[in-house]
This record gives sequence, structure tokens and C-alpha cells, in this order.
Amino acid sequence: MANQTRTLELTLGETLERAQAVLAQAQTAPQTAPDQPFTLNFGPQHPSAHGVLRLVLELDGEVVTKADPHIGLLHRGTEKLIEHKTYIQALPYFDRLDYVSMMCQEHVWCLATEKLLGIGLPLRAQYIRVLFSEVTRIANHLLWIGCHALDVGAMAVFLYAFKEREFTMDFYEEVSGARMHANYFRPGGVNRDLPQGLTRKIGKWNENFSKQVMPLLEGLLDENRIWKQRTVGIGVVTPEEAQAWGFSGAMLRGSGFAWDLRKSQPYECYDQLEFNVPVGKNGDSYDRYLCRMAEMYESCKLITQCLERLEGDLMGQPVKIENYKISPPSRGEMKDSMEALIHHFKYFTEGFHVPAGEVYAAIEAPKGEMGVYLVSEGGPKPWRAKIRAPGYAHLQGLDFMARGHLLADVTAIIGTQDIVFGEIDR
Amino acid sequence: MTLTTDPQALIAQGMDGVNTQLRENGFLLTTVEDVVNWARAGSLWPMTFGLACCAVEMMHSAAARYDLDRFGTMFRPSPRQSDLMIIAGTLTNKMAPALRRLYEQMPEPRYVLSMGSCANGGGYYHHSYAVVRGADRIVPVDIYVPGCPPTAEALVYGILQLQRKIKREPVFGEAGRRTEQPQYAYAEGEVRPYSALEMHID
Amino acid sequence: MTAQLHIDTHLKTSELERCAELCRIALPRAEVAITPQREVQLTVAVTELYAALAWLKDAEGLKFSQLMDVCGVDYLAFNPAQPQRFAVAYHLLSPTQNLRVRVKCFVAEGESVPSVVALWPAANWFERETYDMYGIVFAGHPDLRRILTDYDFIGHPLRKDFPLNGHVEVYYDAAQGRVAYKPVDLPQELRNFDSVSSWKGLTGNTHLAETDNVFVREEFK
Repeated sequence: MANQTRTLELTLGETLERAQAVLAQAQTAPQTAPDQPFTLNFGPQHPSAHGVLRLVLELDGEVVTKADPHIGLLHRGTEKLIEHKTYIQALPYFDRLDYVSMMCQEHVWCLATEKLLGIGLPLRAQYIRVLFSEVTRIANHLLWIGCHALDVGAMAVFLYAFKEREFTMDFYEEVSGARMHANYFRPGGVNRDLPQGLTRKIGKWNENFSKQVMPLLEGLLDENRIWKQRTVGIGVVTPEEAQAWGFSGAMLRGSGFAWDLRKSQPYECYDQLEFNVPVGKNGDSYDRYLCRMAEMYESCKLITQCLERLEGDLMGQPVKIENYKISPPSRGEMKDSMEALIHHFKYFTEGFHVPAGEVYAAIEAPKGEMGVYLVSEGGPKPWRAKIRAPGYAHLQGLDFMARGHLLADVTAIIGTQDIVFGEIDR
Repeated sequence: MTLTTDPQALIAQGMDGVNTQLRENGFLLTTVEDVVNWARAGSLWPMTFGLACCAVEMMHSAAARYDLDRFGTMFRPSPRQSDLMIIAGTLTNKMAPALRRLYEQMPEPRYVLSMGSCANGGGYYHHSYAVVRGADRIVPVDIYVPGCPPTAEALVYGILQLQRKIKREPVFGEAGRRTEQPQYAYAEGEVRPYSALEMHID
Repeated sequence: MTAQLHIDTHLKTSELERCAELCRIALPRAEVAITPQREVQLTVAVTELYAALAWLKDAEGLKFSQLMDVCGVDYLAFNPAQPQRFAVAYHLLSPTQNLRVRVKCFVAEGESVPSVVALWPAANWFERETYDMYGIVFAGHPDLRRILTDYDFIGHPLRKDFPLNGHVEVYYDAAQGRVAYKPVDLPQELRNFDSVSSWKGLTGNTHLAETDNVFVREEFK
């Protein structure tokens, strides 16, 4: 027994000695060189990485000295797949690009195709497109404000914003059958007319949204001390920098550069509608926040104007061009007429032929300039479709925007850039 | 009032039955297995892990209207705190090793719910050079929720189905151990469940 | 109700012609054209690409200060045949003049293109993507790594001779305990309907399509 105890003591003593030796060695060993940066891997599974962003950050203490975004973790080969699909089969890929502003992405593909086809649109189709583009813009900004606020620590905004977002999804569902990936805009118009009573519903929601919900969201954030501390002066971009880095949308307007494709290069019926372009001053996250919030008010105004026309003089007008080579006949007609049956069959199997040529079409998507560069050889499939995503250019600017900021500000900057990986990685 | 360990009978008696039993007898008879499974199913903590489009519907299911918290399902930001991984979106080749690592970081018992057609089998991107044709090639999947994307309701339903599955699971003994080598779709050299003829391959 | 034109209604033909004229004067060797879709397109040789883009960026009366997009195109087996296999297309935007221009440059396989990162820092990732997708090398690029495809990816996926399904796919190898690659093995190929069948039009090539399927612009007016 005594023997055993002694052994134990001895072992204990040895361990202590060894520990002291290690400690002494640690104290005398040279410290890590102060100029060596600390490399931190952020993501791809980080709650505020907005999907699958992987950032390799170099830190000096807590200050970011370099940010190297690794993207492509959601690279799905969309552009290659589009080359193997007909123009209508390729359309749903655009829903899935920027999956928080679905119909705007469809819009740019339709515009590119129509530009190459050289066709115009019935006015009602144009108004429906603008109506849903603006509903989508609100849906996008609601997700953005919810997640951005959540990233910097405000939970309530997320819940209020998503409650409203459900309504925009309901409108999607009513018009197309799907809550998210609508596949509603088609080259030559929209798939089908609005269901009865939808305009009234959107009108009611729109009024409530601009009068009740928006002030509520602003009340939560506008003068919120923490929100301002986390966003004012964070991620400042000068107008020159914004232009050099190919920024667009609110990232450009937040820096005081008044540029909105809906105003300067109007497509659809935007030139017949009244709206303002909100522009920031300081180019920081807070200004971009104000810009996007003001944009939502403008979208509400646009929706009101569209609804007026759609319920008024455009009631009962066609919603797609009446040419069965480009837009399919209705099912009823398809059952009655041989001609219509043939067109229906050819439209959905072969697709329509688009003349050879190349175009670049761009829209003001909620995130910025969304463009499609389309090369056609003729025939029913595109030769090359390059998608110019706004987020791609914005994320590229993360490096210069995050430099000199604290680590915690990186999430605020990701939030203010409104990053969605579907469109960046494609 | 009859004393029973049969969960179905207990459920049939309802809360009234449970209360009566407790009042009359001062105790309640059940099996440890049922209690453990009840606890596991009632507090499923999924990881906050969105890959693509489905992540938006996943967020909606957690937000104001559908409110997954009602089912004890609270999103956790770390794999080490979570029991459930919802693969919400397209899994790409580049992401697959990271997904596997996250799965390995989760403590047992862990469950995987594959959400949407991309995670189920590649879906719309099945033929792409960059996409994993089904998340079950990387991690074993418990529940598949179809749709592109599945609605938030569908995800809630999927989670309820998972709870049902958990409640039926054995906990103790050899049977209670979740298989060490789970089945993956198309491991190397494995014979496919369907023949080339069935798939109309020449 | 007649269809109404809804794209590029702001564009004035005089403005396009002014832009094209300025380009013709300053870049005599470039091929300047206004496409039927009313876009100004410059085709320049690789040797003059950098100078042309630098001029466009600061040209008086044009000032294409924003580079919106850089991308490659693979013209392998394109009909009609193009001068070289690849092309790099630059899309420039002038916010002050409200104009867009596309600069195209044909390059052969293996030929390198001067990088324009020094002119527009935005070109960095766009050029990386073009390199990743087509293997076109940008000389003078500060950091020409792959960007979108997997780490250690082999090949350039958007080349026309790269199969849609790729060459490899990943799976979890339980024996090795890691995610590994194996050759692609699909139960069902993508059905392309590319054969000359009863619906000949399903091919992507116009020369195989029936004549009655060919788009006639006059029908739509």
C-alpha cells in the first residue's frame, strides 16, 4: 500500500516537473512575429455568409487586412445547361439564379430573347411585367433587410419582413402556381392573364404595406442606436470606386451616383410611369439601407400606377403576342383547332427559332444591373448565354470595402452588398 | 383506468388519460425508449445551413407564418449543437467535402433531411458537370422532401415525418445503434436497383 | 391591340452613329458596326485590344467609364465559321452618354489576351472566370486562378468540346473515409433529340432544320 502511494507521488512530482519545464520553455520561446497575419477561414457554413460564401481573411488582431472570397461553391453550370436547352426550357434557370428576386431574372432572359427576335409586346403584358417586377423588388428588399438586420443582431425585423414576404409569395402562387420559381414571364408576354381578384388583393396589400409596414420597419431601424453604430461609416464606397469596380444598383446609388436603368435606359413601360430614384450621399452601409428602403416606397408607387391601368383601360387586353410561333395557343384552342395543335406541339417540343445574332440586354434587378449576353446561331437553342450578375461585381469589391474594418463588420458589409449565391456562382 | 406501456394506447387516452393515471396511481408506466424518443423528436435542432433556393423556403418555414419553433425545431448556427441537417439546395462538387465534414461534426444521433429535387437527385441540374446527383451520395439521408423548391408547408410536413420516424426507432441494444456503415446511393461497384432496359438505354 | 416596342426606346440612331463614327476615326483598324439590334460593336485584333479599351475608357464625348462584363465565347463548329475559335467580349457602359458598346476580340486556342485590370479593377474576376471557363489566358493578370469550378478541376467546362456531364463525379468513399472522385456514370443520358428525326428542328443547328421552321422577321410585323 505504502509502496503504491509513493509511486503515485513520484509520478505526480514528475508530471509537475515536466509541466514547469514546458511552462519555462513557453516563456523563453520567441513570440509569434507581430507582422505575420492571422489567417481565418470564414464559411462556407456560416450563418451570415448568405449561403455558401467562403472567405479567407487575413487579420491583424481584429482588423481585416485582406479578404479573399472563394466562390463557386454553388456553381451549377447554368450557362452550359442553357446551351443545351431551348429558349423556353432555359427560362426556369433564371428563376433559380437569384432566388430571392425570381421574376426579375426571368425578365432579363425574356428581354434578351425578344430583342433578338425583334418583337414588341402588348401593353397589358408590359404592365403585368412591371407590376410583378416591382412586387419582386419588394420581396427581395424584404429578405435583404431581414437578413442584414439579423446579421448585425436585430431579430424582430426578420420576423416582420418575412411576414410580408409571405404575401408577395402568395401573389406569385396565385399568378403562376408556384410560391417561388414562377416561370411566369415568357418571351412574347406573360404565361397567362392575372386571375380574377388578384389586382384588388395586391392593391390592398400594397396600401397596407406602404402605410403600415414600412413605417414599422423604419421605426425599428432608422434611429436605432445599435443599427447606426453597425452601419454608419461601414463599407464606404466613393462614386469613383463604385464605377471602377463595376457596381450597379443600390451599391452605386448609395454613393451618390444617380443611375437607374429604369430611368436612363427604360424598358417595358417604365417611361410612362412616375417614380423617383433615391440616391445616397456618403456611400456607407447606412445610406444604402436608406436607399433601398426608399426604393420600396417607390415600388409601392409603381404598383399603384400599374394596378390603375390594369384594372382600367387595359382590362381584357391580350397578355402575349398573338403569334403562335412565339407564344403557345391556349389549351382550349389547342383542343379545337388542328393548326393550334401543331403549333402547341412544336412550341413545347422544338421551341421557336431565334435568328442569328448577338445581343446584350440588361435590366435594373433589385441588386443592380442584371444582363444577359446572348449569342444565337439561329435555331431553337442559344449558342452562348452569358449572365452578368450584379452580385458578382459587388462581391469582388468586398476586399477593398472590408480592409481596415473589424472582423464583425465583414458580416455587415456582406449584408449591405445583398449577396445571393445563386447568381454569383451561376 | 388500465395501466399501459403501449404508446398507441396512451395516445388514444390523450392528456386526460395521462392526468387520470397520474392522479389515480401517482405514477405513469412507459418505456425508457419511448421517453428518449419523445425527447429526441420533440427538440430537433437543425443546423442553419442553406445551400440555394430551398434555403429561402427553409427561412420562411422558420419565420412568422409557419413558425417551426412550435415543433421544438430551433435553428442552431453550429453543427456541434444540432441533431438535424437540412440539405436545402443544390449540392455541388465543390461543396460536397465541406458538407461531409459538417455532417461528421454533428453528434449522434444525427438525422439528415434532403430538401428539394436538387438535393434529392440533382433535379433540374442533374446533367451538369458541377453538381452532385443526389446528396445521398455524400451523406445518408433519412427523409426526402420533393419539390422545386418544396413549399414551407412541405418542409414542415417533412420534419413531422422525421419526428414520426424517430419515435419508432429502437434506442437500446444492437438494434438501437444507428448503422455504422450507412447505405449510400451508388457506392463504387454497386449494382443499380434498376436495369438498363428499364431506363430505356440502348 | 398592337404590340409595342419595349426595349431600348431611349436609343437615338444619331447617337449610335456618332459613337460609331468617333470609334472609326480613333481606331481605324477596328471593325465598327451597328448591329440590327442597334448595338455598337467593335471587333479589334488582340494586339490593339488594350489600346482600344484604354481609349474608350477616357475618350472625349464617350467616356465608357464602367466595364460591365467580360466573357468568352467558343465558336467551335459555329455556322458561319468565325475567324478564330474563341472570342472575348467586353461590354462597356458610359453613364454620362447613356451608351453601351461591345468590344469583341477573336483569339486562337493558346493565344493570350492582355489583361485590363489596370484600367478597370472590376475586370479581375471577370477575366478569372473567362480563364476558368474557356482557358483563355490573360497576360498581366495579377491573380489568374480558377474561380468558379472545383478546386483541382481539370478542363474548361464551357468549351464546346467539354461534355455537359463532365468527366468525373463525386461520392463518399466509406473505405477511404472521404469524398472522392470517380468517372461519370449516368443511368440516363441527357436526351438531346439531336438526330435527324421526324422533328428535325430539335437540333441546335440551323442547317439541319427544316426550311419552314426558319424564322421570318416579316411574319411578325
